[in-house]
Amino acid sequence: MNERIKKYLDELFENAPKTRKAMELKEEMLQNSMEKYQDLLSDGYSEDDAYKSVIGSIGDVTELFEDLEEKNLLNLSEADRRKKALLTSVAVGLYILAGAVLLASMVIEEMMVVPSNVECVMIGLLLAVIVCIAPTCMLVYASNMYPAYQKKKEDLVEEYKEAKHLSNRDKAVRGSISTIIWTLVVILYFTFSFSTGAWHISWVIFLMGGCVEAVCSLIYSLRRKD
Amino acid sequence: MSITSDILRGHTEAIILSHLLEQDSYGYQINKDIMKKTDNRYELKEATLYSAFKRLEQAGYIRTYWGDETVGARRRYYAVTENGRKAYQSYKSEWEEAKTIIDQLLK
Repeated sequence: MNERIKKYLDELFENAPKTRKAMELKEEMLQNSMEKYQDLLSDGYSEDDAYKSVIGSIGDVTELFEDLEEKNLLNLSEADRRKKALLTSVAVGLYILAGAVLLASMVIEEMMVVPSNVECVMIGLLLAVIVCIAPTCMLVYASNMYPAYQKKKEDLVEEYKEAKHLSNRDKAVRGSISTIIWTLVVILYFTFSFSTGAWHISWVIFLMGGCVEAVCSLIYSLRRKD
Repeated sequence: MSITSDILRGHTEAIILSHLLEQDSYGYQINKDIMKKTDNRYELKEATLYSAFKRLEQAGYIRTYWGDETVGARRRYYAVTENGRKAYQSYKSEWEEAKTIIDQLLK
């Protein structure tokens, strides 16, 4: 007897979006309908009349379906969007500053205004890299400002999208980390080689750099799993 | 009759809030109470009821939770929030004012 009501609701919800909200609405309606049906039976209705009365009171639910599609929550708020734009532009400005510092050091070296035993380009390069640290951090932060992908529909496609979104963020962070590591490695290589003159062995630094990167990526993925 | 049901439908949300202010309740119970209070003269269509629930929830006037019935299906209960309480108070005073004006005009 209750099966008829359930079947009716199944048909009613056939065209509804397959979301959690829709499932909950169906469960809620089913529960309320069942309770009403039982009450009507104990009031002396026949099963048929009770069923008809329950179905009759449900009304048109199709308008309810429209809003069950959840809204896209991926958009940043206006304040966040401005913050992100500001961060990005300041970061780009700092990168340009780093380039300028490097260029200036080359010009100074070329004009030989300083004693030749000072490695002016090296100092310039070092300064440039230090200047680069801040904007890199800012860009990583800005790229993480988007909220974790909100599921619109709980189906396979959305789960795939979410997984993909997560791995995109993952890639961005990993990319930034390895850029930082390799820039530092190059700096270290030149600084070490120029100052000691041990060019024959200093290339080992690159092997060590590779090792450090592997360790970092391991730590990162271990932390993600927690 | 159609004027009556139009006016009543326009106040569905306030009617629901008024019920929930007495105690937390669920869809069928609210409808049953409405029928009892109106001597079976008025009953909400379920579609009307659920869309009102949804609007109220989106406005932050009610919140919902699932009951822990051990037998049968679980009930979805609704409760008034603090904002809902305030909204009801202002709605009520606006309604009183409208009622007075209409009474004065329709003599």
